[in-house]
Amino acid sequence: MADASSGEHEPELPPHLELQRTRVVCAPDAPSYTESVQYSGAYMAYGVDNSLRIEDFCKNLRVEIISMNEEDIEFDIVGIDAAIANAFRRILIAEVPTMAIEKVYIANNTSVIQDEVLAHRLGLLPIKADPRLFDYKSEEENANEKNTIVFKIDVVCTRKGERVLNSSVTSDQMKWLPEGSEMPFNTMTKFTSFGSSQKNLPGLPAEGISCQYPDIIVAKLRPGQAIELEGHAIKGSGNIHAKWSPVATARYRMLPEVNLMEDIQGKLAEELVQKCPTGVFDIEDVGTDSVNCLLQSRRPLWQDQGTARCVASV
Amino acid sequence: MKVMNAATFTVEREDHTVGNVIRMQLHRDPSVLFAGYRLPHPLQYRLVVKIQTTSQSSPMQAYNLAITDLIKELDHLKAVFEHETSQKQADYY
Repeated sequence: MADASSGEHEPELPPHLELQRTRVVCAPDAPSYTESVQYSGAYMAYGVDNSLRIEDFCKNLRVEIISMNEEDIEFDIVGIDAAIANAFRRILIAEVPTMAIEKVYIANNTSVIQDEVLAHRLGLLPIKADPRLFDYKSEEENANEKNTIVFKIDVVCTRKGERVLNSSVTSDQMKWLPEGSEMPFNTMTKFTSFGSSQKNLPGLPAEGISCQYPDIIVAKLRPGQAIELEGHAIKGSGNIHAKWSPVATARYRMLPEVNLMEDIQGKLAEELVQKCPTGVFDIEDVGTDSVNCLLQSRRPLWQDQGTARCVASV
Repeated sequence: MKVMNAATFTVEREDHTVGNVIRMQLHRDPSVLFAGYRLPHPLQYRLVVKIQTTSQSSPMQAYNLAITDLIKELDHLKAVFEHETSQKQADYY
């Protein structure tokens, strides 16, 4: 394998070993070669250095964003190991902090939803607040404007002639109280001690802090029932409770590569193209009667025209 | 039984997220003979990393090198990713 033009002799692995090193083969019973060969001396017998230098890593790394919008992002990374991708997935689910309601002070709840069920549901509501603006709060600390966000729900279901008003409590009826808690009503000391209003926090969105989606139904009421409560939201991360996890889910997978082992022509090729529901294969006209079958794109599976599956959803 | 150039590191408050990545990076070092991690108990939030190196380097060195290399790699990944997302955002607007 000596290169005649240059003096350098670059040893290379035989193709079957290169396949083992870089690809996971999905055999009919189970995938094989799933363990990535990281040991730097693995191919010493061939004279191939398997160690990874930082320059090689920087040269080979590529990130391609397939789709991105406010809620989802899907991207490919070429050149990193599965361990790093998995670490990202775990960190996204468990270690990125967010704000969520932790303590609920219920003044009045005459609905059929029990107090604890209502409190549980409030905790799961996603709150549109940047957690970097807030500090963590421990149990003994006082609730102040730097570590707590206070929300209030005060809804009474009434009957107005034929119509029933406020029959369901939605998340947009949860009002933000930037001045702090208003409870308990009959004492001077409140549950929170806000030094200043939260309205002036830098980096706050223009419309203030609210629930991410305004149409989430929190509870349903009938005429004569009322809910009056306050929820205090604090900063936390997903490993304590799933309500603090910022992602709906985050997942990763290895990019699949489909190789045709032999040429497929003619009617068989057309049949193969039709059989695949996601459009992996494509027909290439070779001019004569026969047509060859080849692969359409590098990202065949999971992406058909109608729906796009996403990797990280919020 | 004393083994030359081998060490065990206990990392508190960490789990597979960090352990697997460190183990992966240690394997890439040519002077590391043995590298592995385990969580002694799933209810206790700590992990144990075991490293053995050749006489050219020491486990301390290998561990430090692995961590610094990882930081560099992840910084680079972050830079590339932020570049791509800003480009993609620019395409949207």
